[in-house]
Amino acid sequence: MAKHDTPLLDELESGPWPSFVTDMKRQAEKNPDCWDILGQLELSFRDKITHWKHGGIVGVFGYGGGIVGRYSDVPEQFPGVEHFHTVRVNQPASKYYSTENLRHLMKLWDKHGSGMTNMHGSTGDIILLGCRTEALEPFFWDLTHELGQDLGGSGSNLRTPANCLGQSRCEWSCYDTEEACHHLTMHYQDEIHRPAFPYKFKFKFSGCANDCVAALARSDFAVIGTWRDDIRIDQAAVKEYVAGNIVSNGGAHAGKDWGAFDIQKEVIDLCPTECMWMEGDELKIDNAECTRCMHCINVMPRALRPGAEQGASICIGAKAPILDGAQFATLIIPFIKVSAENEFENVIDVIENVWDWWMEVGKNRERVGETMQRVGLPTFIKVMGLDPLPQHVKEPRSNPYVFWSDEEVPGGFDRDVDEFRKRHAA
Amino acid sequence: MGMSDDEIKTAMLEKATKAPKPQLYIKDFYKCDPDTKPRKIKNLANDLVKEGKLMFWSSGSTTMYALPERIKDEEGDDGVN
Repeated sequence: MAKHDTPLLDELESGPWPSFVTDMKRQAEKNPDCWDILGQLELSFRDKITHWKHGGIVGVFGYGGGIVGRYSDVPEQFPGVEHFHTVRVNQPASKYYSTENLRHLMKLWDKHGSGMTNMHGSTGDIILLGCRTEALEPFFWDLTHELGQDLGGSGSNLRTPANCLGQSRCEWSCYDTEEACHHLTMHYQDEIHRPAFPYKFKFKFSGCANDCVAALARSDFAVIGTWRDDIRIDQAAVKEYVAGNIVSNGGAHAGKDWGAFDIQKEVIDLCPTECMWMEGDELKIDNAECTRCMHCINVMPRALRPGAEQGASICIGAKAPILDGAQFATLIIPFIKVSAENEFENVIDVIENVWDWWMEVGKNRERVGETMQRVGLPTFIKVMGLDPLPQHVKEPRSNPYVFWSDEEVPGGFDRDVDEFRKRHAA
Repeated sequence: MGMSDDEIKTAMLEKATKAPKPQLYIKDFYKCDPDTKPRKIKNLANDLVKEGKLMFWSSGSTTMYALPERIKDEEGDDGVN
């Protein structure tokens, strides 16, 4: 029986899609506190303002992340959501679960919290919505002792790292994304659980440029699989695709008649660097021009495969649009070996180089991508101890000015600005 | 020779006591000893949390540090702001 009238929310159940309102009503039958979430949301719709307050000293002892405090500003009206904290639980790599684990997790959340979840949050965590302050420590105890799971990141911490399915399911993955994600999650436990930085910092690991975990758009530090040698071609399979004996795109376009496969139109003309052509019935690739975008491999997976010398590109500085709009990451290291054999030492070196600089130079609440933008890419590359590479350059320069530093000019140079200004007024 | 860990911790607590606002960013503590690396300051701040002399204050997106007595005065014992 509904505790509050919710005519505005009820409208959201009338569309053709599944509705969160229906889900919440179903949960409210089990946990009556959930009626108050609906009641408060209805009030927010009427008042056109949120009735959540956020922030505070909520957390479990010794952890500066993992719990996001939420309080109602109308607790007298809606006592069930007076406290309604969000708990972030670190998801397993690639989000592989056993049903036993999921049932146990839900049992714990029904016991300590509202029973409502968000599987998963944008960063990848399991999001458990709504519990009271006094329930946090008992929940944390059960989570860590019964399930062996831990909280994820929130606040100015390293956020919960995330990865694509990688080599567990995908033949295109150029490194073991699960191992990399797991290893770095364990290596940086302190940074995940205790605030370390000017603002949030996210790692994401994608096995190839298809970037199934959206590392390029959503992470401060994106490790995206790639290869250094040539795309492997099976010319016999190319002929089979051209003849129509193998369906393109792994049969993904099977729901409609798209016509016969046209390699020129669907592969060669769509190559962003125009590095492919046909010579007779053979497909040719100028690999020096290829940007490893994966398009041709996606279309003809039985004919084309990533090269054999595999590793990753590191792109730094993506973020969502709070300040200055959304920003993709910038390619900083075109190719790096990513291997568990050396415990990902070379990737860790890059990460810590970035952190050491950003912790010092970054302003409060400034993402590393914003710091990079503020100081400029040339300065950032210098800080990283890298030489500028062609891959860092988007297009040939149109600005004719070249700024030389003293050490870049043989013999250096002395410049008396006052003397110069006598002749050239500012 | 730079400051000892205990001297830095004392300076950090003094900063947290005298700062106009009870919540401080980790960067605010860097000035307690400019010669000490930010990571070391972060570790010392976390030690102070373990010792119960500082506590975390989180907005959800940002985490700050505060003296327990100052933050509870401002927010009430249950930490609600």
